[in-house]
Amino acid sequence: MTDFKKHLHTALCAAVAAGNVLREHSQDAYHLKRRSKESLRDIVTEVDKYAEDVAIEKIRAFDDSPVLAEESGASKKIDMNGTYWVIDPLDGTVNFLHNIPLYAVSIAYIESGVPRVGVIYNPALNELYYAAEGLGAYKNHSRISVGTRPREEALCAISFSGASFGNRAAEFETFQKLNDATAGCLRTGSAALNLAYLAEGKFDVSIGQNNRLWDVAAGFVIARLAGAVVDYSLTNPKKHLLHHRASHPHLVDFVDSVLGK
Amino acid sequence: MNSSRVKKSRKTIVIYGAGAIGRGYIPWVFSPDKYELVFVERNDTLRGALQSAGSYTTYKTAEGKYESMRVPVKHCFAPGEEKNILKKASAVVTAVGPRNILSIAEPLRGTRIPIICCENDPTTAEILRTETKNPLTVFAVPDVITSNSASAEILKEDPLGIITEDGHCIIDERAKAVGGHATYVSATELKKQWMAKLYLHNTPHCIAAYLGSFLGATYVHETMAVGKARAVVEGAMREMQQTLLIISDLDKKFVEWYAEKELQRFANGLLFDPVSRVAREPFRKLAPTERLLGAAQLCLSAGVYPENMLQGIVAAFLYDNPNDPDANIRYLVRSLELQDFLRIVMGLDTDEALQKLLVRNWKKNVAYLKSLS
Repeated sequence: MTDFKKHLHTALCAAVAAGNVLREHSQDAYHLKRRSKESLRDIVTEVDKYAEDVAIEKIRAFDDSPVLAEESGASKKIDMNGTYWVIDPLDGTVNFLHNIPLYAVSIAYIESGVPRVGVIYNPALNELYYAAEGLGAYKNHSRISVGTRPREEALCAISFSGASFGNRAAEFETFQKLNDATAGCLRTGSAALNLAYLAEGKFDVSIGQNNRLWDVAAGFVIARLAGAVVDYSLTNPKKHLLHHRASHPHLVDFVDSVLGK
Repeated sequence: MNSSRVKKSRKTIVIYGAGAIGRGYIPWVFSPDKYELVFVERNDTLRGALQSAGSYTTYKTAEGKYESMRVPVKHCFAPGEEKNILKKASAVVTAVGPRNILSIAEPLRGTRIPIICCENDPTTAEILRTETKNPLTVFAVPDVITSNSASAEILKEDPLGIITEDGHCIIDERAKAVGGHATYVSATELKKQWMAKLYLHNTPHCIAAYLGSFLGATYVHETMAVGKARAVVEGAMREMQQTLLIISDLDKKFVEWYAEKELQRFANGLLFDPVSRVAREPFRKLAPTERLLGAAQLCLSAGVYPENMLQGIVAAFLYDNPNDPDANIRYLVRSLELQDFLRIVMGLDTDEALQKLLVRNWKKNVAYLKSLS
């Protein structure tokens, strides 16, 4: 089995360096130049791009595997079943711009199509989540694991795509079902943090519809190594879109019943 | 009095954790002659060994010699198996480690017998009291060093053999009915004893262990035999003494006596006190109110420059034991810029004096540590 310590070291360096860029600009975020991409919620700023450059530079110092990055694309042609890095320099851009401290850098290392190493860093709250195959899942200095609340007390999170690739009505129907059958369902604006909070036991379920791979790849590793059952499927490989469902093991049947297996 | 009558009058004490304190020291406080000691141990290997051996020997160092006691082990339960014995028990002693305290709460819920927490952290008693709703859950300060191992000769005779000092167990007086070879004191006196233990024992003791890990030492007394390392431990002790005299109402003579006693303890070659035990869980020891960062902050607040303590803190950051529950510490130190590590992982803001001192002196302190080996 590959030793992923070096990859985790690389991902930690890159995520914190990129996070420091976000930190430096968090106070003036509202005044940053912004550009909408595929929807009003799908926004990019110059800070996203700068943070991404910093992360790529850090990764390149240690490893020359291809990089799939949200803003630049970096290595354009990625074999999704290959070995590569995935970077989202700022997941939760709208929160960042509105000074809501729910945004993060998300970096994953994928080997043979399987996410093996993940780091999610929220610089606003000093929350550093990380995990690597063979090493377990951590937040800052502590090992983390998923919660064990029953369905009635469970808190769920859902993330929709930035653009309308899917069936918006169906997405809202899922949201409603989750919200009514549990202690509630939140849309935090960061799919990466949804999965990190699931790994830590704050959330009990995370569901994503047509998320981008860079939003969720790191979260998949962290949630899985913290004990969650993580299931995902590509819906549009060209656009790197996928659905996911993740929860602690005893809520799998409930999630299946909401989404249909 | 015949033996069956003696047995009948013995109180049963359930000891959670058959490690250093539970197995090594508690039988000297609650002697098996007068108390039936029952263990609850989650480590399968240790539990199996105690069950099949049926007894073990604990050694007490006193005046340069060992005194031994054979401790019968009638029962050593896995967690969850002890519910029936708790019904007839007179008291519970916990020595499971602060991080594990919540894991033993469930069977103790609703009990009305004294629960004595020997956990090296007074908050554990508060947590357990809240969880069990048992008002007799109290804190105790076992003023003792107990190795969780022994010399090769002793282990050859008894693989479960264990060595302890001739210590002094100070317990909150609410548990007075339990008796034994202990001193029961008021909450105020216990607080004083804890303050002395936390800063004059725990702080320099773990610094000795972290320095020892750099030296490649197996036992703490080996660290104290190296002049440059001993100087740091003694320096940290001085810094803590000065601080305590400024910030507390502890008596100068008591502080001096305590400090001297501790330095002699650390150097006790009969104890075989493992570096890996004392250095265990560095993140817990580096918590903001704990014996390293917390102690250094206290020094700074008293206007005492914690030069030696900073050295010990750096040694803790660099503690490299892949088998430790906090093995990720070295990993994080290597991966992150120092300022980022201190801010994100240790919670020390960039503008804090302690963070600035650690950053400013980092290279010098690392070089000193390297010069030890």
